[in-house]
Amino acid sequence: MIDIIDTYWLYFLVGQYPDGPLGGLVLTLLLGFTAVVLALPLGVLLGLARVSVRRWLRWPVTALVYVVRGTPLLMVVFWAYFFLPSVTGHKTNQFTTMLAALVFFNGAYLAEIVRAGIQGIAKGQMECARSLGLNYTQAMRYIILPQAARNMLPSLVNQFVTTIKETSLGYIIGLAELSFVASQINTQLLTRPVAVFGTLALAYFILCLGLSRIAYYLEVRRSRVAT
Amino acid sequence: MPNFDLAAVLTDEFRGWLLDGFLLSIELTAITWLIALPLATFIALCRLSSVRVARGLGFALVEGFRNIPLLVQLLFWYFAVPELLPEALRSWLYEHDAEIVCAVAGLTFYTAAFMAEDIRSGIRAVPVTQLEAARALGFSFLASMRRIVLPQAVRIIVPPLISQTLNLWKNTSIATVIGTAELMYQAQRVETASFRGVETFTVVTLAYLAVSLLITALSVWFQRRFPVRAS
Amino acid sequence: MKPTQALIIAAGMAAVFLSPVAFSDQLADIRKKGELVCGVLGTDEPMSFIDPATRTLVGYDVDLCQVVAKKIGVPAKVKQLAVAARIPELQQGRVDILSATLTHTKEREAVVDFSLHTFITGQKVMVRRDSGIAKLAQLAGKKVVTVKGGTQEPNMRKAVPTVDVVTFETAPQAFVALQQRKAIGFVNDEVSLFDAYGKLGAAQKDYVVLPESISVEAIALGLRKNEPALKTLVNDALRELEASGAAEKLFFKWFGPNSRLKYGQRSFKIDSDRI
Repeated sequence: MIDIIDTYWLYFLVGQYPDGPLGGLVLTLLLGFTAVVLALPLGVLLGLARVSVRRWLRWPVTALVYVVRGTPLLMVVFWAYFFLPSVTGHKTNQFTTMLAALVFFNGAYLAEIVRAGIQGIAKGQMECARSLGLNYTQAMRYIILPQAARNMLPSLVNQFVTTIKETSLGYIIGLAELSFVASQINTQLLTRPVAVFGTLALAYFILCLGLSRIAYYLEVRRSRVAT
Repeated sequence: MPNFDLAAVLTDEFRGWLLDGFLLSIELTAITWLIALPLATFIALCRLSSVRVARGLGFALVEGFRNIPLLVQLLFWYFAVPELLPEALRSWLYEHDAEIVCAVAGLTFYTAAFMAEDIRSGIRAVPVTQLEAARALGFSFLASMRRIVLPQAVRIIVPPLISQTLNLWKNTSIATVIGTAELMYQAQRVETASFRGVETFTVVTLAYLAVSLLITALSVWFQRRFPVRAS
Repeated sequence: MKPTQALIIAAGMAAVFLSPVAFSDQLADIRKKGELVCGVLGTDEPMSFIDPATRTLVGYDVDLCQVVAKKIGVPAKVKQLAVAARIPELQQGRVDILSATLTHTKEREAVVDFSLHTFITGQKVMVRRDSGIAKLAQLAGKKVVTVKGGTQEPNMRKAVPTVDVVTFETAPQAFVALQQRKAIGFVNDEVSLFDAYGKLGAAQKDYVVLPESISVEAIALGLRKNEPALKTLVNDALRELEASGAAEKLFFKWFGPNSRLKYGQRSFKIDSDRI
């Protein structure tokens, strides 16, 4: 396994870059990070819609969230692949397709995390804010959401870990992320599948375990600090 | 949308393929569930045990299988593990639908790791006084778990477990990469043969949704019928 | 009705009736864009593959793409696609042209246009020597592997109706499955098969390519429908390539005695698009 890492570490790390599109571990991280960052505002919007008193907002969004959560991510990826160009009028490459699918899918999941976060803030906070003269939007923006954000941080880091794992589905549409690169190496070497896929598994393991430990640490710190 | 023609993807031949795939997806879910649940219970009990080695093993299994993408685990089971088996076992495997066996193996360990955590949380939610009382009355650790703690934990465990079942149902779609002819695999096949991506994926999405919504409805029913009693 | 109203309606009708005539001229778009985006497989040596030393895409298909781009007068941008994604990506405008071992079939003519045939090959099956299989018919009831989304699976099933076909995301992935004895045979087009065979090195004695072809494949460049200007230009470029002898040189560069395939001669010319 060491000799494989030794020979192919650059390919594992960045794919064909700079002689081709970016790939490998760097692409995986970039895709995961960008997806979570973009999914967050979408998740907040959908989460707010889920707790809204306005039925015309709550019901369609609830239906949408149920549909997205009942569909495999791979299906969402294929939809993005076939649907996106006709909807946006732009030609999309594999990275953009995967990104759109991840943002949309994780947005729906984040909506639930946001909803739980908002509903976890004592109702008294909203009542206080309203009685002080703030309207609903201001109360949300200045009082509720900032507190909810602190609560949500460990869940968000966990969502980042999940998203990193989800980027592996880019393999199926030919995106040169870490799993695809490993597979290419395996077909080159042919006789070392255990070592190649073992290295791949180890890479994800270290990455995801590290991140989820950070989430755990944040969770512990939060419950110690919480009043 | 330029001519949406559902009939084009529902010809006898294509319908047959999609139905085969749907049935296999259900089978994969069922078989995995039946193996993963006892395995998950075992792992959860390991993590709660007072024996340090058991705790370490449980922790390693959970963290190991949860932090590696399912796709990678499936590739490993299908392309790497058989190479490690003795010749006779390997030939037997290849004669008997290796794609399905490896898919079940990958899905089982992945799902069991997540289920184990849910079971563990559920058990921990039962007040520790219950376990202490049981031990004081003379029950062994295992007997206390089986007769006192687990039955109470069940109500708390079931909703997250149903959620994991939903995840399992959706995860079967990833088995397409190791050649398992489940619903997503057949969807790709129909799409290639019919040139009609939108129609094919509409049908397949509805198929996945039908079962997903059934599972979600089950969860809602359970929580209404068996609410968690405040202790 | 008032004159201005009539004028507006007439203009509207003219726009509606004239618009089908105004083709989106892809050739002009390409020139404006300043680059030709070619879809290639990148996993099909030596038609298109990643050279491990330089980590760039190279191959017969890649070179053909460069030839077309040069004729248009823009640089070529080569994009890697999955087998199953070739036609969808072309139809959606994500690539301008396909140079991806695309077989010219009657069914596909409904959705894409084809250039002159750039390569003629057949699809064959590679089996392990110790399986004792020497004829296609012996594959009845047995398991073969191939890649998803191409013509391999339907052709195999047509040739041997009771065969069990399992498909993978890329051809090399399927080849790994054959080597691991997960199946008896590996189906692919002749060129890719012989290339894979060449890569086996010492293990070649364990494998044999069955002589019977399950189909004859005319490989061509894939173009979007209703783009006469681009199609004419592509075919002209190919005719010039053939006439100047460069086409034959290109063939020998990738398939000749110095390559893994070692073809001694070229059995076709780039001059027809009839199937």
